[in-house]
Amino acid sequence: MATHALPVSDAEYAEVRGHRLVGFLFFLVSDSILFCSFIFGYLYIRAASPGWPPPGVERPGLYLAAVNSIVLFGSGVTMHLAMEAWRHANRSRFTAFIIATIVLGLGFLSGQAYEYTHLHDTWAGSTFGASFFTLTGMHGFHVFIGVIFLITVLLQTRRGVYDQTRYFGLTAATLYWHFVDVIWVALFFLFYVY
Amino acid sequence: MTFILTVISGLLMWGVVVFPIDDYLPRASSAATDIDFIFRFMAFFGVPILVYVNGFLLYFAWRYHTRKGDDLMAVGSDIHDQPALEAAWTIIPSILMLILGVISYLVMPKYYLASAASVATIEAVGHTFYYEFRYPGLKHPVENEMHLPIGKQVTIDLTSSEDDIRNAVIHSFWAPEFRVKQDMIPGMIVPIHFTPTRIGTYRIICTEFCGLGHSEMVGKVVVESQADFDAWFKSQQQLQASAGMQGPIPIANGDAAAGGRVFATKCTGCHAVGPFSERKVGPGLGNLFHDPDHPDLVTGKPADPDDVADVIEHGASGDLGTMPNMQVNQLTDKDVANLVAYLESLHK
Amino acid sequence: MSIAQLQAEASHAHIHPPPQGFIAKYVISFDHKVIAVQYFITSGLFFVLAGLLAELVRAQLMHAHNTLLSPQTFNEAYSIHGTAMVWLVIIPIMTGGFGNLAMPLQIGARDVAFPWLNMFSFWLFPPAGLLIFLSFLYGAPQAGWTEYPPVSLHTPGTALWCAGVFLIGVSSTITGINFMVTIIKMRCPGMTWTRMPLFTWATLVTAFLSAIATANLSAALAGLFIEKVFSVPFYDPANGGSPVLWQHVFWFYSHPAVYIMILPGFGIVSEVIPVFVRRPIFGYKAIAYSSVAIGLVSFMVWAHHMFTSGLSRWVQLPFMILTMAVAIPTGIKIFSWVATFWRGHVRLSTPLLFVIGFLSMFTFGGVTGVMLASVPADIHEHGTYFIVAHLHYVLVGGSVFTIFAGLYYWWPKMTGRLLDERLGKWHFWIAFLSFNATFLPMHWLGLLGMPRRVVYYDPQFEPTNMFVSISAFVLGASMLIFAYNAIRSAKYGKIAGPNPWGGRTLEWMTSSPPPYYNFAEIPIVLDGPYDYGKPLPYANISQDLATEPVA
Repeated sequence: MATHALPVSDAEYAEVRGHRLVGFLFFLVSDSILFCSFIFGYLYIRAASPGWPPPGVERPGLYLAAVNSIVLFGSGVTMHLAMEAWRHANRSRFTAFIIATIVLGLGFLSGQAYEYTHLHDTWAGSTFGASFFTLTGMHGFHVFIGVIFLITVLLQTRRGVYDQTRYFGLTAATLYWHFVDVIWVALFFLFYVY
Repeated sequence: MTFILTVISGLLMWGVVVFPIDDYLPRASSAATDIDFIFRFMAFFGVPILVYVNGFLLYFAWRYHTRKGDDLMAVGSDIHDQPALEAAWTIIPSILMLILGVISYLVMPKYYLASAASVATIEAVGHTFYYEFRYPGLKHPVENEMHLPIGKQVTIDLTSSEDDIRNAVIHSFWAPEFRVKQDMIPGMIVPIHFTPTRIGTYRIICTEFCGLGHSEMVGKVVVESQADFDAWFKSQQQLQASAGMQGPIPIANGDAAAGGRVFATKCTGCHAVGPFSERKVGPGLGNLFHDPDHPDLVTGKPADPDDVADVIEHGASGDLGTMPNMQVNQLTDKDVANLVAYLESLHK
Repeated sequence: MSIAQLQAEASHAHIHPPPQGFIAKYVISFDHKVIAVQYFITSGLFFVLAGLLAELVRAQLMHAHNTLLSPQTFNEAYSIHGTAMVWLVIIPIMTGGFGNLAMPLQIGARDVAFPWLNMFSFWLFPPAGLLIFLSFLYGAPQAGWTEYPPVSLHTPGTALWCAGVFLIGVSSTITGINFMVTIIKMRCPGMTWTRMPLFTWATLVTAFLSAIATANLSAALAGLFIEKVFSVPFYDPANGGSPVLWQHVFWFYSHPAVYIMILPGFGIVSEVIPVFVRRPIFGYKAIAYSSVAIGLVSFMVWAHHMFTSGLSRWVQLPFMILTMAVAIPTGIKIFSWVATFWRGHVRLSTPLLFVIGFLSMFTFGGVTGVMLASVPADIHEHGTYFIVAHLHYVLVGGSVFTIFAGLYYWWPKMTGRLLDERLGKWHFWIAFLSFNATFLPMHWLGLLGMPRRVVYYDPQFEPTNMFVSISAFVLGASMLIFAYNAIRSAKYGKIAGPNPWGGRTLEWMTSSPPPYYNFAEIPIVLDGPYDYGKPLPYANISQDLATEPVA
């Protein structure tokens, strides 16, 4: 979003981009602390419980989650390819890969929705449900926001907001999307493997 | 100036050393001596810090104060570092902290580890809003008053619980004269260990907010000779044997006057003799049997003599707190009948 | 780098057109100076409300079994008093107020990195406060500003409390990120790290704590909220949760929070002393780096609030050691500040008086803090009036006194007028004496057996409590002197030039108040700001701005 009506020189844009990049990175650090707090809570309750999962609770299946993870990591790959396409000024390739990323993101969300509706455990039903649904739900919400972010970015490219040298919105979207992937690696390990 | 401050410091430090802490707060446990020593240590070294900081601050502010007619543009000294001084005021406090840390560390296990075997483990359970103590050998718990024989190490297992676990909250067990404190946390049992060293009656105070009755959650611990303790223990056993839970208690021919005396000693901690709304912990009981706005008891039963006797006998739990049963309250069958008669006689 | 090169670099910070209209200028303003005033006004309002709640608490405690307040109202009063003072007064004033007012000027910038976010941060603040105070209508929280479960899950107000504090937390996080980027990226040419004013150093560390620690609070609050509203088990042992978990996640934020509340105050002290003794600050590097050390260690001491919560000895030990360790850098600062007075030319104006009061009281609070660091001693002191005494020594004697020092110091820069010196001195002396009369006896009360958060207490403590309450009323009244002074200054305050105190940091190198673009030309810095006796260290600023102080 432009805050100045006056056209901005290249040097000034570089400066502002530097601010935005550092600011966005600090935001991602802050966001990861949010996840880390809930993860700490999960590990604490788990360590303090006599057995895990709690009695009567079935852990969600690995298979569906693994497939879903591949979908999400795949979207990370397509995101990377989209950025590469942009840097090489290949608009049509960029658009294709962004759309692919969005589709895969939505696919991941559908997978999550399917898993949620096929689990016996509920959010309030056990301490496992509490941590599982809160953390994966928060992550899913972040993916959802990410999808909105990507759609916005796609529309912005069609409006010509970015060019070959000025495309911070794209950079931010990519960083955010990869961040969401990294969080998922942690959650996948913590809930399905460990 | 440094000399003057050192003298003042010295005098105050001597004051810290000789200050009779136990004139104000008696030392009644093995832990208390250590803790008072640590306190003295910290105050001892805190005094020179306070004296030097405040002293030099005030002295400099006075000595270098601009006087009338001074040039306000004049600047002071440009010395902005003094490595030796800065090293000193970094290293000396660090050493003091280290010593404090070591002393504290050496004292810590005395609470948390049973060194010699304790003679007994007593369970202390926090409730809203009273303490319950379960002694090995006593069938029923004792409420709010713990007895301990002098000179014998005891272990106290602390927790918090209610009949309905969903109502349990965190409490704390603090005996200031023992210098002992431990939170009572539902779902956890935390042991502490100490030896009472002084005969007397001391307070147990709740220091963790637990609800509307928090400020009234105060218990007693009586430290006495082994003989006196044995006598108390025996009397508890007898009391509990006679107060059986065998069917409804006969409440005919209760003595209202006697019941009034029992009420005054046992019940006024939580109940006022006033209208229902005059809540202390539980509701006011002055109009218990004649209140058209509150015809039912907390158990859902109507306020008639048999159901009231039932509540006194078995206790009750609700969102206002938990009322102990007659064993915990140390009431005999006769007391129950008398209380019912007394409450019937009220008309507020 | 030559002056010409520095000049060339500087010219990039162009001036945008001025805001037009009342709304753009004063309501939805992107100007950090206007936003600062908005924060001051809003925090000031909450300070009055929270202060009145405190007076209500003290009125009840005049007698051992007073019937002024019901237990419920009493509990609500101290809970919202604490909640509001921490989150609606001290943190917003220190960060959104002083950070916004002084920091961009001190680094020679035209504004912060993200002005829109700055405005947005502010506008989260009034709704957050509203949510918190709205809880009085439906039953406010009763378990103190710490709202420990399970009791907080069984008493009303918790959900609204969570929502309100969460919202102000978001505001705090955004401001933290904003300030960090501003300080890292937007210092004017020549302002290297070691030429940066100490208030800016303090704001940088505070911003880091705000951005990182608050996210953790958000998680804790979210958990408590969904447990209260949706019965999702995190903290209630009845459902398999852990009450101690809440304590961990709450204090992991709340300990850094107390440093958020004091570090900017330390920064203010570091600014005020050199100006009013006309000497370089003693130990600049020590003070700057010790702020960083304090900020980092502040994340490692949280469990010293939990020494009675059933933690094992091996967990308690490192927390004890680190808590003792964090006293060392703080001590270094205090000693350095006192040393700055040596061979200075001391002008005992109101800002410096509040700083002197701070130095005295915060040292005392620091000593009692060490008394709490030792686990065996803390066992006796925890949950008693000793804690209430300690926390007020560091938060009132510490934070609030530095806030007033900063207000008296930067008032002319903010408003263009000086506050009255005589009224200021009355304010200081009455506040200082009544503060000590209020809180010093509480140490004794705690050690002898008075727990905290009690509406009724043992009658043996009544005379002391009566004395404390009366002193507390005087302390509250002293604030009226400031309010009167502030309002009066709008019309009768002496007009302040750019540099009424003879300072050397950049905020004094422009008019009072500054134009919306702060500086006509971005300053070029040649040296550190505290070297009294040398010329002003700026290449493109007139030496005439090294004016003679008015007081």
